[in-house]
Amino acid sequence: MKKIMKFSKSHYDYLKKYRTKKVLILVSQISILVILLLAWELLTKYEIISSFFFSSPSRIAETIGELYKNGELLYHSRITLSETLIGFAIATGIGFLVAFILWYSDFLRRVLEPYLVVLNSLPKIALGPIIIIWFGAGSKAIIFMCILIVIIVTIMNILNSFTNCDKQLIALSRSLGANKFQIFFKLILPNSLKDIVATLKINVGLSWIGAIMGEYLVSKAGLGYLLIYGGQVFDLNLVMTATVVLCVLASIMYFAVALFEKLMNKFYQ
Amino acid sequence: MDKLVEIKHLNLIYQSVDSETHALDDINLEIDNQEFVSIVGPSGCGKTTILSLISGLMRPTSGDIKVAGKSPSPKDNLTGYMFQRDNLLPWRTIEKNIYFGLEIKRQKTNERKKYALDLAKKYGIGDFLKKHPSELSGGMRQRVALIRTLALKPELLLLDEPFSALDYQTRLELCDHIFEIIKSEKKTAILVTHDIQEAISMSDRIIVLSARPGKIKAIHKTNFSVDMAPFERRKTDKAKELFDIIWQEIQNEKNNEV
Repeated sequence: MKKIMKFSKSHYDYLKKYRTKKVLILVSQISILVILLLAWELLTKYEIISSFFFSSPSRIAETIGELYKNGELLYHSRITLSETLIGFAIATGIGFLVAFILWYSDFLRRVLEPYLVVLNSLPKIALGPIIIIWFGAGSKAIIFMCILIVIIVTIMNILNSFTNCDKQLIALSRSLGANKFQIFFKLILPNSLKDIVATLKINVGLSWIGAIMGEYLVSKAGLGYLLIYGGQVFDLNLVMTATVVLCVLASIMYFAVALFEKLMNKFYQ
Repeated sequence: MDKLVEIKHLNLIYQSVDSETHALDDINLEIDNQEFVSIVGPSGCGKTTILSLISGLMRPTSGDIKVAGKSPSPKDNLTGYMFQRDNLLPWRTIEKNIYFGLEIKRQKTNERKKYALDLAKKYGIGDFLKKHPSELSGGMRQRVALIRTLALKPELLLLDEPFSALDYQTRLELCDHIFEIIKSEKKTAILVTHDIQEAISMSDRIIVLSARPGKIKAIHKTNFSVDMAPFERRKTDKAKELFDIIWQEIQNEKNNEV
């Protein structure tokens, strides 16, 4: 407060305006959610739209409560979450390593480029039958599907960032006698940090896609399994509930990455 | 005075998929310790190539280059390269940028850090050490780049058009600053530039290269007093005479090319 007192009146007004705008945005965001939920609830309550086909917020809440009590909520969430996290970690880690190797060796990069392009444009779901035959119908197959979807994009994005480093900065480092590892750790890596974090954010979304798609194909448990099962028995409550839980978990993971980004930025400022 | 740089029968041919370019043709040059030499010439005559060869970033096709009696290599500490752009790392503070060379050369000892900091303070960037490059003006940033180079204690500075990215006012100002720093630190310098006046005002000797393949076409001595700042030198009649001569030489080369 003390600091603000020192500013001129016009600056104080500016700050006030700025804050009002911020509050207004937040209020609008919450209102949209509340209005949508309320409309959904009322429309289904008076059967203007069918509650059988659309479920309703109260029913979803009820279902969440039930699933929580009998332990299924945590059980299915845990399975999907662990598949997603393992897939995310392995794909991001290996993807980063491969990107480094391809950056390091110009020869390898040029040899492997067409393979990467083909793998990137291939719809990974097409490999479903092969994955089931190779890995069986379990978590392994799901994690592999997840890795497959995430890793190619990771390699392409990070490699692209590595090779886009300012040529002049590299020339400077070379004129100082830097070797390739020094150029990588002192120049390429800090220069690519923002792109790497952006890739992590994309990977969060992709690894959820991978895990759910994998579960559609083979699973006996998990949120993707609940979705498929709910759809088959026409239990829209279950389908909507699984979707809501998925939304919440994916958001939490996204915000974790966003937090990581903030810490990184602080470290480098 | 002893020779710091000796270049004998230097030839360079660039290879590329489409063609072969004869860039430098039989260059012979000796540079004394603490001498300031400029290289001017029409565009594409191989000025920058000579610097790359002296720094050891490139090997000559034939001929011989010795810096302090040895074949040059970027690994040793004899030469410091300064580019047209300051090339400061945007994510590092000015202080950390000054240490960049020391880190690459694995010489980041307390003693060397202190030497670098003393240089920074002596030449007017002591107040900006905790700032980031984006907060500094172009002239300031180029001065930081020079301090980064000097922190490694090179004998020979290779200046590759270090002023050309700056506005005119800053450029004249920085010429004086850099000149003063180089003279008081007793360094030898080779400046590559498009700007004939700049070459005349800063150097002891000016080497005029021909159009490609670059040959030494003429060498001019300036004979200014060391105490005279570049800005003062620009105003002298001698500078104007030299300008006319060198201008004509380069103009002739351009015409020959066409």
